[in-house]
Amino acid sequence: MKDKKIVLFPGFRHVVPADFESWLEKMASAGWHIDRITQWSSFVMVFRRGAPKKYRFVYDLQAAPRKDYRAIYQEFGWEYLGRMASVFIWRKEYRDARLEAFSDQESILQRNRRTLIAVSIAFYMFLLAALILGLSFFTRTLAPGELFQAVLALALFLAVAAYLGRVMLKIGRKREY
Amino acid sequence: MNWEKLRRRYIPMSETMFYILFSLQEERHGYAIMQHVKELTGGRIILGAGTVYSTIGKLERDGLIKAVSEENRRKTYLITEAGNRILREEAARIAELYQHAEVLL
Repeated sequence: MKDKKIVLFPGFRHVVPADFESWLEKMASAGWHIDRITQWSSFVMVFRRGAPKKYRFVYDLQAAPRKDYRAIYQEFGWEYLGRMASVFIWRKEYRDARLEAFSDQESILQRNRRTLIAVSIAFYMFLLAALILGLSFFTRTLAPGELFQAVLALALFLAVAAYLGRVMLKIGRKREY
Repeated sequence: MNWEKLRRRYIPMSETMFYILFSLQEERHGYAIMQHVKELTGGRIILGAGTVYSTIGKLERDGLIKAVSEENRRKTYLITEAGNRILREEAARIAELYQHAEVLL
C-alpha cells in the first residue's frame, strides 16, 4: 500500500476557498495528511498516509496581514501549515461540531471578497495584456516568425483570462460559503 | 473619519461587532474577547479567529479601538472615546428596538 499520494494542481482544481477547505478535510478523514504548505502547493501537494482525522482547514487570503495575525489564530488553537502566495492555510482537529474560523456571514463574505479581488486583478492583467498584444497587430507589421509568437502569446493570455473569469464566477456563486 | 461617516458605517452594527466593541471596554486580546463573548451569551456566540482578526482590524482602522500593549506579537486592545460613543448610540438604538418588541412578547 502506498504511503504517499501526489495531487497535481490542487489549487486550480478547488478554486473556491470553501471547496478547497472541504477537499483537504475529506483527504484527512480518509487518512491523507499534509503537514506543510508552500508556495508551490497550488501546483503540487504530497500527502502522507496516517490515521484518519477530523481536521477543519481554513483558507484565508491576507495580502498584508497585521503583526498579530498569526498570534490570533494560534491562540485559538489553529495550526499554521504555511502559505501559497498570500493564501494562509490553517488546520485544527475537532471532535463533534465542525469548527469555524469565520463565525458570521459578514466575515465569510469578506474572506471570499478578498479572494475574488485577487483573482480579478490577475484576470484584468491578462485581459489587458491580450488587448495590448491584439492592438499591436494593427499598429505594426510583424515578420512571419514574430506573428506566430504573438498569436501564440495572445491565445495563451486569452486562455488564462477565460480560466480566471470562470474562477471569478465560481467564487461569486459560492460567496456565502 | 468624521463622526457622521462613522455613524453611517457602524449604526446599526452586527451582533459580532457589538459584542467585540462591548468586550473592549476592558483591555483584552483576541482570544480573551472570544471567551468573554462566549460567557456573556451563554455559549450562543463563539467567535472564530478569522472573524475576531478582521473585525479588530476594521475597528482599529476606524479609530474605535486601539492597541494598548503588545507581547510576543499578541496585542491587547481597548475601546477609544469614539468607540464608546458609537457603542452607546447603538445601545440606545437596541433599547428602543427592545421597547417596541416587548409588546409582542
